[in-house]
Amino acid sequence: MSNYSVIGKPIQRIDGYEKVTGAAKFTTDIRLSGMLWGKMLRSPHPHAKILNIDTSKAKKLPGVKAVITSADTLHIKYSNWRRYPHLMDETPLAEDKVRYIGEPVAAVAAIDEDIAEEALGLIEVDYEVLPAVFDPLEAIKDGAPQIHEGPTVKNNISEARHFEFGDVDEAFKKCDRVREDTFYLHPVSHAFLEPTNSVASWDLNGRLTIWTSTQTPYFIQTLLAMVLGIKEGNIRVIKPHVGGGFGGKMELFSDQYCAARLSMLTGKPVKIELDREEVFIATRRRHPMYYTLKTGYMKDGTLVAKEAKVYTDGGAYNAMGPTSLYLSGFFQIFPYTIPNYRYDGFHIYTNKNPSSAMRGFGGPQAEFTCDSQIDMIADDLGMDPAEIRLKNGMKPGHVIPGLAKVGSCGFEECVKKAMESTKWKEKKGKLPMGRGIGMGCYGFMSGGVFNWIDSPYAYSAAYIRMNVDCTVDVYIGSAEIGQGSDTVAAQIAAEVLGVPMEDVKVIRGDTDSCPPDLGAWGSRQTLMTGNAVKMAAEEIKKQLIEVTASLMVPNVVYDFDIKDGRVFIKDRPERGIELAEVVKTAVRAREGQALFGRGIYTPHGKGMVSPAYSFGAQVAEVEVDLETGKVNMIQVTTAHDCGQVINKLGVEGQLEGAFVMGQGYALSENLITDEGKVLNPSLIDYKLMRAPDIPDNFTSLMVETHEPEGPFGAKEAGEGLTNPNAGCIANTIFDAVGVRIKDMPITPEKILKALDEKKKKEGK
Amino acid sequence: MRDFEYIAPKTVKETLDVLDEYQEDCKIIAGGQSLLNILKQGLMAPEYIIDIKNLEELNYIKFDEKDGLKIGATTTHRSVEFSDTIKEHYNVLSEMERHLATVQIRNWGTIGGNLCIADPTGDVAPPLLAMDATVIIANKDGEREVTVLDFGVDYYETVVGPNELLTEIRVPVIPSNTGIAYLKYRIVEGDAPIVGAAVAFTLNEKGACKKARIGMGGVAPIPIRAEKAEKMFEGEKITDTLIKEAAKVASEETTPIPDIVASAEYKKRVIGVYVKRAAKLALTRAEKAAN
Amino acid sequence: MKKILNVTINGTPYEIAIKPKTTLVEVLRNELNLTGTKRSCNAGGCSSCSVLVDGKVVNSCSVLALQVDGKEVTTIEGIADGAKLHPLQQAFLEHGAYQCGYCTPGMIIAGKALLDENPNPTKQEVKEAIAGNLCRCTGYVRIVDAILATAKKLQEEAK
Repeated sequence: MSNYSVIGKPIQRIDGYEKVTGAAKFTTDIRLSGMLWGKMLRSPHPHAKILNIDTSKAKKLPGVKAVITSADTLHIKYSNWRRYPHLMDETPLAEDKVRYIGEPVAAVAAIDEDIAEEALGLIEVDYEVLPAVFDPLEAIKDGAPQIHEGPTVKNNISEARHFEFGDVDEAFKKCDRVREDTFYLHPVSHAFLEPTNSVASWDLNGRLTIWTSTQTPYFIQTLLAMVLGIKEGNIRVIKPHVGGGFGGKMELFSDQYCAARLSMLTGKPVKIELDREEVFIATRRRHPMYYTLKTGYMKDGTLVAKEAKVYTDGGAYNAMGPTSLYLSGFFQIFPYTIPNYRYDGFHIYTNKNPSSAMRGFGGPQAEFTCDSQIDMIADDLGMDPAEIRLKNGMKPGHVIPGLAKVGSCGFEECVKKAMESTKWKEKKGKLPMGRGIGMGCYGFMSGGVFNWIDSPYAYSAAYIRMNVDCTVDVYIGSAEIGQGSDTVAAQIAAEVLGVPMEDVKVIRGDTDSCPPDLGAWGSRQTLMTGNAVKMAAEEIKKQLIEVTASLMVPNVVYDFDIKDGRVFIKDRPERGIELAEVVKTAVRAREGQALFGRGIYTPHGKGMVSPAYSFGAQVAEVEVDLETGKVNMIQVTTAHDCGQVINKLGVEGQLEGAFVMGQGYALSENLITDEGKVLNPSLIDYKLMRAPDIPDNFTSLMVETHEPEGPFGAKEAGEGLTNPNAGCIANTIFDAVGVRIKDMPITPEKILKALDEKKKKEGK
Repeated sequence: MRDFEYIAPKTVKETLDVLDEYQEDCKIIAGGQSLLNILKQGLMAPEYIIDIKNLEELNYIKFDEKDGLKIGATTTHRSVEFSDTIKEHYNVLSEMERHLATVQIRNWGTIGGNLCIADPTGDVAPPLLAMDATVIIANKDGEREVTVLDFGVDYYETVVGPNELLTEIRVPVIPSNTGIAYLKYRIVEGDAPIVGAAVAFTLNEKGACKKARIGMGGVAPIPIRAEKAEKMFEGEKITDTLIKEAAKVASEETTPIPDIVASAEYKKRVIGVYVKRAAKLALTRAEKAAN
Repeated sequence: MKKILNVTINGTPYEIAIKPKTTLVEVLRNELNLTGTKRSCNAGGCSSCSVLVDGKVVNSCSVLALQVDGKEVTTIEGIADGAKLHPLQQAFLEHGAYQCGYCTPGMIIAGKALLDENPNPTKQEVKEAIAGNLCRCTGYVRIVDAILATAKKLQEEAK
């Protein structure tokens, strides 16, 4: 067990004071002198040609300073897929047609919100309504309305993903049993509390500054440059505090573009803040999926072969769909050693708001089906589903042919710990009718190796400057969105350089001063930005040790280390020099240059997905009201392997928050649409879990492994934790009342209906 | 939200005069916990808003042994929730308020406003129905008393006319040997109920049912009573079997509509469950009161 | 036609001319630049905009500003005692009861309102007191812990 100063400890976050006093500034709090208010005009039709747009009346309204349509843009298609241009299908404002209700068609800037709103009503758009299609299984049929034209799109399929290893067909023949199930996963919203918004300010030097609520400042910078036709270096993206992202803020959005363009045209700052209804109807959502899973297994519970076929409801544009599609196939086999696997996934356009990345990135959908089916298999074989999981669990060093190599893996220990803590053996199948216990498991990436944005920069970078008073300034481009990544970066710098947390300052969220970083998605920042920070800190450490060695001139060559404000000889810790003295000497020795370190991290040769994987097991207990079908969560226990825990408070917080999000996914959240119209676009009608709904008890168990790829051996603890929840809850309900719902969400009404059918079958 | 002319009358009399002047061109705001959303969504755009929130004249909770309970229309939910008078004599109202929406809404929203918005899932009406409550509606020329049963007309529509003001809620003295309970069903907390049932049993000297009242919310365009089910209890000993049968009949008296939350069949099913559960609790309380 | 609103906020009296339709959250954020109070749904569904009016917690997005004329409003900016944090704020820090921080001001206001009325709440009472306040990051666990810990601390200090 390592003896760290700050790593692994429950360190208080560095952004606490401003958050608990209300001083923390979010983009919604930015007010600039002369600021104009912008608003978006959105399509009322799910599919229509735009014949004509007349903005003349709107432009004449007193107080309106600018009105833009696609005519005022460079008509450049954009998205995060710069390396794969055929996937770039979105324009800043609708060009010749609209493809979903809520699609941006025009934007207005006026001296106040009311006038901007009034101006929207004065813009006249002539639409020719086209037939629309809403179900992906309908959209792929011949004769369905074609949502996009283009050489790579056929039958509304914009992208397909296929991978396989082993020999699935032969393997199925050799299995004792084979079962196939089709599941339906429904759409849900990120429901971040800070709405999508930006303030853009164009100055007459030809530079744009944009404050925006984003997970990916660099993406905004580079894509805005592309779409506006100006240099990246003339765009400054500032990311203030962000009120949640969860995957819904990792792309460039039309309103960010429009704020910028309107500012360029008016010479004034322009604020565009989406209201909650707009956030629901016109920002992203989690991919709904039709997920067919076929698994072949032996009577002793060995899983031999899997075949998955997935149709995702992509909505009107690709967004991050192709990645979700890929990962949903990839995580289907986590965390189990399946020797034969085939995956076919199809990303399908429909006339609804685009589905994109959402915490778990396709993983939660996959794990729901995987966990549900393992329990069905267990039920069929009369085996304990935990035992089947242990029997087939991944082990350290596991290789997925052609795709990935698993480094550290504490899966087995996670399952055993969760079982022990919850007294699994005593309870499984033995609780009274209505009470149940169940399990869900997962493995997840610690950052993706993907570079679809085609950034020439290292995936993560850090600069560190150490000052003569031993304070440390860490410059990073990663995006703190509430998950605690700034604190983790500070902890790593503090640990390497032997300084207290109070002496570390993190400078972030400004592309003018911070290095490019791919941002917060795929649960990458602890591992990737963390590695860059560690490298930068170690460069300074090396300089400090060199100076110390020359100061101390030991008669034997010793190794030095830095800890708690001293640089000392490792084997003779009583012999050392105060850090402050070393730092001063080092600065003087280099003609007064500040101590500086640079770090980068880009995964090399780490397979097709990720350099490292987290693992875990979750066990929950529920009580089902047999008369109404309502599910009450009693407790949830999660054993998580994120390698070396960097911040215990942070990991536990992620674990708890992820579960409640997953509980909502499983039981109550649902973005309900009818003919492309969202029926519940409010935080009252879209049912999020509230404090009285959470389990009475949460137990978090850390399983510490050591991941060589990660800083201090750390792995992710952000997204993986949203993967097991729905499957775990479904399995728990099955244990409680003997019914399985494969069509999400698992509402009380569905449970009651299934109970009725069960009674009928049993002849009661 | 469209802007409006704002008038904050200082007295009830002034309010009634203003209402009479502007009629359909104006809308009354009390707490505004429902009305402001309606205005923000553009579903209504009145020229005048008459603000009665700070009309202290209508902010009261009075009780006497003869006339029973009188609650002024602008009394907040929270005041009803915490009132010692109500806890002592009409505890079901305090219980109902404790779980109504959220604390923030209860602190500013009013009991009168809740009845007037007439959301069919509203929590206030069912227990009032179970207690044979009435309301006082005033206009410039006088006032009239209307039962809560006759108060609703349709979804979000009541008998209060464009120049009228709900001023008071009246609940008669609860007969001795009475137990009342209000239970409601929702999937997430803080939410509006999907359905809710209030049951009141008054027992006679022999321990049989003298009077039964069943108020239900969320199962019709307006809050209703299960009058057929109520009659099944009169004069009878209240048993589990009788409760089960009556709950079934109560469920059949409902006409819920399906919505994005639940189907009509499910609502019918669950109201039966909640009538049963509320009845059992009411019976326990009535038996306790009788001893 | 604008109306005059006279209101005391965090102990300071203000006189502001506003359109009648203005809600309290708009006065706080737009007129007075007190941006600690957040607006997230503008419909009373998330309570990010919670403030105290005469000590009672309300959704400021659902309060017509003119209705607080003559009243005392307390926002998150008025919770600390100068540079000294309120015990609730301190507890939030120690328990890690926040992540993105957007719901935090509303949660602290709701927590304070609870403890002012009910100094010794049960866990269930705490959960019900913040039932209106949505949090998408924390799962509420540590927020409940922080409020309970503060109640305990304040009780001990009172002895």
